[in-house]
This record gives sequence, structure tokens and C-alpha cells, in this order.
Amino acid sequence: MAYSETFKDHIANPRRAGYLDDVNAGAEQTNPVCGDRLQLSLRIKEGRIEAARFLAYGCAPTLACGSVLAEMIEGMSCAEAAALTRQEILQILGGLPSRKQHAAALAIEVLRTALEPSSSSLGPPASRPQ
Amino acid sequence: MTTVRRIYLDHSATTPVDPRVVEAMLPYLTERLGNPSSVHFFGQQARAAVDAARREVARMIGARPNEVVFLSGATEANNLAVRGLCEAAEPHGRHIITSAIEHSSLRGICAALEHRGWSITRLPVYEDGIVRVDDVRAALRKDTVLISIMMANNEIGTVQPIAEIGAMIREERARSHRHLWYHTDVVQAAGRMPIDVESIGCDLLSLSAHKMYGPKGIGALYARRGVRLTPQIVGGHQERERRAGTEAVPAIVAFGRAAQLAVAEMHGRNQQARRLRDRFEAEVTTKIPDIVLNGHREHRLPHISNISFRFIEGEGLLINLDMQGVAVSTGSACSSGTLEPSPVIRALGHSEEKARGAIRFSFGKDNCDEDVDYVIEVLARVVANLRHLSPLAREAQAAI
Repeated sequence: MAYSETFKDHIANPRRAGYLDDVNAGAEQTNPVCGDRLQLSLRIKEGRIEAARFLAYGCAPTLACGSVLAEMIEGMSCAEAAALTRQEILQILGGLPSRKQHAAALAIEVLRTALEPSSSSLGPPASRPQ
Repeated sequence: MTTVRRIYLDHSATTPVDPRVVEAMLPYLTERLGNPSSVHFFGQQARAAVDAARREVARMIGARPNEVVFLSGATEANNLAVRGLCEAAEPHGRHIITSAIEHSSLRGICAALEHRGWSITRLPVYEDGIVRVDDVRAALRKDTVLISIMMANNEIGTVQPIAEIGAMIREERARSHRHLWYHTDVVQAAGRMPIDVESIGCDLLSLSAHKMYGPKGIGALYARRGVRLTPQIVGGHQERERRAGTEAVPAIVAFGRAAQLAVAEMHGRNQQARRLRDRFEAEVTTKIPDIVLNGHREHRLPHISNISFRFIEGEGLLINLDMQGVAVSTGSACSSGTLEPSPVIRALGHSEEKARGAIRFSFGKDNCDEDVDYVIEVLARVVANLRHLSPLAREAQAAI
């Protein structure tokens, strides 16, 4: 299947790309099969995601899923964000070829890891600007 | 609605059919409708056209017309060459020498033979992307029946020492290694370099029309007189029983015309492509940091530039360029449908990250300076945007 216009728009104009200075939650995941990396940094206040930023390295679906994820979770409560599924990301992107759907799974995985209490005081371990 | 300017820089993938080629083939889609096997007027008219095209293709490579087998394209040519030869030569040995950077069709054929118990030696190419003749010699075994090395690589354009390898094979044969054959895939080189089967010393040579301004779906295999091949498609007498099936007359006629034009216009096309390519590379090097130009700087085809853009993946770059109207290609994993990054770039000894960031720009006879100006402007912007969201780029910056 071909990529949708929405998908291409996220590739050409990524939303919320970057890193938050005053991060108080975050995570990074690497896809062990293809080596794609997705990093998420969050500023959470009173159980709500005030701001979200992503960094990504890898194939285009990983970039697009990072962009969709960071955009959609801003303003959500942590509980709402934790309940998101990869299907919701895929739906926004107009679907992905089956062999590329792992990118949406990676996005959900990094989100859930970032929302775990143990990560709440940690920034993403790598890539933090010096 | 604004119209996106379209710039095609993917001529190594395929080329547009030259209008003069279209003109030559059109009558064979309509009024000149014969089957070359028919004895009536229409059939003989088609037969004469196929024969004329065969002479043109043969002339392009310095072969005799009856040594040219028309078939569906380079993949089939490689299959007939390698599988056909190996099946016929199996009593003499089951070892093939090839390179690590052959076209995917050749790689796939070798992998299939390996699965059937054949032994395959895949020679390294080093950082410059070039096979060493000494390595070929050192890999020879008593049971080696085939050496298959491409003339020029499809991703990085590096030109291989195929005439020197041919000379070495002649020496080996003279030294009593009689059952040794030599195949070369010249698909990317045809129309870009003079090709002469005698100078190369090859027994088999693969060609495709659509890389040289001919149509898709037609190619040829040169098979030196006397070389035994097991046909891969049987059930008809066509092509001297080497490839069954009614000849694709319009496509064959087109191939003949494309070959004729390629020979006549090679010098001018090359000069134009080289000038644009070299200017493009000079500007990219100046305007975009952290790049690697892949492959030997001199021993390469004039129209190909392969560049690794550090810290980003080729597919995102390709999609962004496409949205700006620029068509290029990448051997990167996600675009090519595999999980491994380009084996060709990896064979240069580069890291996986450099291989994933490799993009091929291939120029054609209709590109112009304005195309280069536009692509440079778009490329610099897109690369910067992608690096902005790359954790690798940030890590590299932080490490400075």
C-alpha cells in the first residue's frame, strides 16, 4: 500500500520534534530488528501531559509515528495516554503496510515506558543536550 | 492548486523511452503485426525487423547477431546466464565466484544455487567499491565453473576491471582450467561505456533496454558461440531454442533503435551527465555537512552519485524529496522491502548508519543545470529538517 497524504505531511512537517528542557518524564526505545530509535520527552503536571516532544531515527514510519504520537498526547491525562493503542496511531496515519506497522508498536511502547512511575523523574537517557 | 516541479534523478532505475524509439516501435504494435515464426508476408516483415534489431544490439557489444538472445530483461538474462550455464556445466564443478555488490537478481540466483549445494565465493570490494583481480585469481578452485562480475555497479556506479579479469581467465584456461566460463552484467554500463565482448573476454553478458532509453520488458543475453546453456523457458523453437516464446517484436525493434542511438550519442550523453553530476557533488559537499561520497571517485559511471547523509535514514529523505518533486532512490532497508541496509554500501566497509543514509542520484540526458540548482536547494533544507529530529545528530553535536 502507498503512504497516505497525512503520513507524508508528518514526514515533511513533523510536529513536536525536539527535546524539552524542563522534562520530567521520558523514554527511548530501539527496535531490535531494524535498529530504529524513538525518543519521547514529556512535561507532566498534575497528571496531565503539558508538553511532548519526540526525536526519531529510522525509516519513515518511525518518524511519522513519533510525530503523530507527540501531537496527539499533548493535553491528554496520563491515564488517557496510557490507554492509547497502536491502532489509533495507524488510523490517524491512514494505515501502514503490514511490514511497517512495528513503527506504531514502537511508539506505543515508548509512550508506556515514559509514563511508568519509575521513569517520571528521569529524562531520556541519551541525546539530552549538553 | 500549485503544480509541483518534477525532476527525475533516478535514471539508474529506469529511463524514459526516447521519442525516436517510440516512433520505431509503433508500427509493430499496429499494422506490422506479424509473428516472426509465420511464413506469410506479415511474419517475414516481423522477422526482418527482429533480425535488424539483433544486428544493432550485437553491434553495440561487438558480438555476432546469432550470439544475441532476446528475452524479458536483465533478471531473466542473469537467470539464463547463471542458472543455464551452471545446470549445463554441473558435471565439471559446483563453484561460482562473484562479487559482494552484484545486482539483487544475481545475488538471488547465487543464493538459490547455494541452497542447492553450490559453493559461492563473494569477493570483497573494499572502500572504493572495486573488485581486485588478484582476489578473483586467489578464489579460483578446480571446481570453479563460473565467474560472474558486473561491469558497473547499479548503486554506486563503480566500474570493475572486467577486461583484466577476462585476461586472467584466458590464462587460466590456457593453463588447463578448461571448464571455466565468464559472465558479466553490463546493464548499467550499456550506453555509458564502450562494450566489446572480445576485449572483455566474456562468454555471457546481460543487457536491458530500459536503462538506455528503451522500453521495459525487453533485454538480451549475449552467449558466445559454443557456450552450452540449459534453457530456462522451454516449449518453443524461438531464439535458437535458447528462449521459447513468441518474440516481443515491438519491444525488440525498440531495443535495436535504443542501442543504435546509445552508440551514436554516448559521448554527448556522458559529457552532459558528468558535468551535471560533478557540479552537483561539488555543491552538496560545500552546502551539506556530514556526508560521505560512496565509491571510487574516478572509476565510476558518469551519471551516478551515491551519497550517505549521516544521522538520517534514506527513506524519510526520499519521501521528503519526492514531495518536493525530486525523484531519487535509496538502497535503504525500509524502501527496498528488506530489513538489511544496502549490501552494496555495507560492502564498502561502512557502518549500518551510513548505509541507511545512502541516496543514489542518477542523471539523464534530459536533466539540466536548473535541475541541479533546485535539487541542491531542496536537499539542503530537507536534510537539515530531518537532522533536527534525529537523536543521532544531537548526540554527534553534543560530542563535539
